[in-house]
Amino acid sequence: MHELSIAQNIVDAVLSEVQKNGKGRVTEISVDVGQLMQLDRNALAFALRLLMTGPVLKGARVHVRVRKASFSCRKCELEWGMAEAQKQLAAVPDVLRVREPDSKELPLHFLPSLYPAFIHCPRCGSSDIFSKEGEEMQLRRVVMK
Amino acid sequence: MKSNEKYAVSLAAARERLGRIANVVLIGSGKGGVGKSTVASGLAISMSRAGQRTALLDVDIHGASVPEYLDLGPPVRSGMKGLQPKMKDSLSVMSLGLFTGILPVPMRGESKQELITQLFGLTDWGCLDYLIVDLPPSMGDELLSAFSLFAGRATLVLVTTPSPASVSVVSRLRRLAETEGVRVRGVVVNMAYVLSDRKKTFPFGTFDRKLLEAKLRSAVIAEIPLEPLVSTLGIAAVLNDSNEFSRAFDRLAESITFNSP
Repeated sequence: MHELSIAQNIVDAVLSEVQKNGKGRVTEISVDVGQLMQLDRNALAFALRLLMTGPVLKGARVHVRVRKASFSCRKCELEWGMAEAQKQLAAVPDVLRVREPDSKELPLHFLPSLYPAFIHCPRCGSSDIFSKEGEEMQLRRVVMK
Repeated sequence: MKSNEKYAVSLAAARERLGRIANVVLIGSGKGGVGKSTVASGLAISMSRAGQRTALLDVDIHGASVPEYLDLGPPVRSGMKGLQPKMKDSLSVMSLGLFTGILPVPMRGESKQELITQLFGLTDWGCLDYLIVDLPPSMGDELLSAFSLFAGRATLVLVTTPSPASVSVVSRLRRLAETEGVRVRGVVVNMAYVLSDRKKTFPFGTFDRKLLEAKLRSAVIAEIPLEPLVSTLGIAAVLNDSNEFSRAFDRLAESITFNSP
């Protein structure tokens, strides 16, 4: 269900850009979402099409791209991907999972930048890590006529 | 017309939420240990009890303590309009501590602004008269992020103890607020005294009100006593009674609402 509220946020961002750039009709939008958010790409695209109504947004093409997550340790310089991170995320206590009406989701589903609280270096155990990509929630491109 | 820039989705969401909030009051000090979270929690409770639609946002990423003060904890719920704040009676509360519990949150600068914007923008605050924001110590990413996120909308309440060392650090935040264009509402002197058997004692020393106001170039709008019962009963319970502590917070809440635009 979070896909719907994310889609609403994206639509608000599109409308905000349209306002900044003067009048026009949007013909295409491209969205980047990080793998850390674990969003359903098809559900997000569907929700966007559902919400993009009215003369400015109706009929615009929607592209959703999922950016793969990758992490690096500042201490031992190991690099790893989402598969390894998933093993650690599986251990997140149930009480910390956000309650949706029909599911329990990781906090990262909503707050991807919070990943250092839940993921650490699988080799040295350090929490001083960073993600090269995978925490994005960006409107990459808006095309207007 | 084509555009290839990246647009921050969370920022657009935050602006949308901010449009439904009449007043944003930042509670800051620059210094740790002066009781910012106590003042923020007490003010938010007093304002909501006075009938103002009030929410409390804790933007301390590394040391979120508001959930502890208000006896709130995970899990958070999510609804059609976003993340649901936790309720303490009629007060809405949101904090990163509600997502991380006792886990440490080690994080360097670059992600903090995004995280604070995400937390504020994804929370379903509804329409509010007041959003009280509990700032962390220091003048780093979290404080600058809050200044930037609420630019042009927020006013700042400075919290200090009577100690000269505290006042000195707070005066730096006073200067920073000036350069960043954040209006200062006034100064709260926290832990100003302890009342016992109708006698006041001053664990952090006494202060000259005029000198302090001159140094911080702001009026003292409240003197809050140190109340040991807060640590055993919790701040909400102590504020339930009529006592020196609760009257001080009621006066602070009145001062904030009286001076709001």
